[in-house]
Amino acid sequence: MNDRTSHERAVHWGTAIWTAGAAGLIAALPWAASGRLPDRVATHWGSGSDAPDGSMPLWAASLVPALIWLVLALVVALVVRRTGAAARPWTVTTLLFSGTLLVGAQISAVRANLGHGDWHQARLPTVWVVVAVVAAAVAGGGGWVLGTRGRPTPRPVGRGRREPALAIPEGQRLVWFSRATNPWFQALAAVTGLVAVSAGAALVGGLAAPGLLWSLFVPFALVSLAAAGCASVQARVSEQGLEVAFGPLGWPVRRWAARDIESARAERRTPAQAGGWGYRLSSLGTTVMVRGGECLVVRARDMRAEFAVSVDDAERGAALLNALYAHRPG
Amino acid sequence: MLLRLNQADTRPLHEQVAGAIRRAVAEGECRPGDRLPSARDLSQALGVNVNTVLRGLRSLRDEGLLEFRRGRGVTVAEGADQRSGLQDRVLELMAEAARLGYSRTDLIEMIRGIP
Repeated sequence: MNDRTSHERAVHWGTAIWTAGAAGLIAALPWAASGRLPDRVATHWGSGSDAPDGSMPLWAASLVPALIWLVLALVVALVVRRTGAAARPWTVTTLLFSGTLLVGAQISAVRANLGHGDWHQARLPTVWVVVAVVAAAVAGGGGWVLGTRGRPTPRPVGRGRREPALAIPEGQRLVWFSRATNPWFQALAAVTGLVAVSAGAALVGGLAAPGLLWSLFVPFALVSLAAAGCASVQARVSEQGLEVAFGPLGWPVRRWAARDIESARAERRTPAQAGGWGYRLSSLGTTVMVRGGECLVVRARDMRAEFAVSVDDAERGAALLNALYAHRPG
Repeated sequence: MLLRLNQADTRPLHEQVAGAIRRAVAEGECRPGDRLPSARDLSQALGVNVNTVLRGLRSLRDEGLLEFRRGRGVTVAEGADQRSGLQDRVLELMAEAARLGYSRTDLIEMIRGIP
């Protein structure tokens, strides 16, 4: 645990130093070369030629890119605050990539203006832009490696310590049912479904050009099905094990035998952590995300990653699964 | 919601299923307006025949605890949480009376006799 906090502190300090350092560098570069720059500095180049099509006074050329960078870093910091530490690999990647890109762009811009009397004479060779983008990509890739490798591996789950377990009285059979629904997805499924059905009916009746109707029917029907699939999920824990059924029809279904589920727990997760809504694969394992909040997280035998499903009352579902595993025959 | 079936219970299975759901409603496991799992789900999870489950659900509907709605499945009726607790105690009383040799009519007479 000590390990984890010291690692986290190192990442925090590293991020803060990088943000401040890059901002300082971006702001200082034009001033450092101010003696050899024109009064207005060329800051924007058209895509077709290497001639500039936009300029700024020196102070703006120094502050505007630095402010863009600080705002971006602030947005990343806010997202991390909201979603927690699990989002770290992409945070480091984003900050390293965009910071390197902005510093590279600033260096290129200052270098292009250097020694010219008028900003119209500044030329920006394409190769500099390419070099800046490649450097940014390398830095971003390095950040990803750093973020994923430096992260402490999830603790191996020891039984009977932190997992909740339910007392099953002798001779009693306990079953647990739960579900979660997302009204937004239900509404989306209903609306798109209505459009698809109308288009389908018009198609059958021959009311309009078939080409147009097909182009309405197919995408709307697909979106409706996808939204309905993400709109609700049901979970059931009984002596047979865990069963997770998707969508309004309760199909498809995933099942695990009770003896295969080594540990279960409840955890709060947000769609940002899981990577969105629906059936998500991420560094957390598989997450069936219908709505943010309480999730039942299980670790099954023969499965490398964990499986999580967002359902209400997950605490007791986990407790029952742990109790069933403890009472397993043999 | 958490349902409990007691395997030592000697009552008919459909009554046990009804009792488990009644208890769940009384303990606030499912609130009025909540949708119950489907009869097929209940039967698979409890290891009880689906017709037995349906019989238990129907008796709860007759007691006014559940509502069968077309297209919405089975939902917990309004006020069922209070009613089911009372219902449970009445059933307990009847069982106790039967054990002591009083019939249902005796019990009704006793209640009537209370001023």
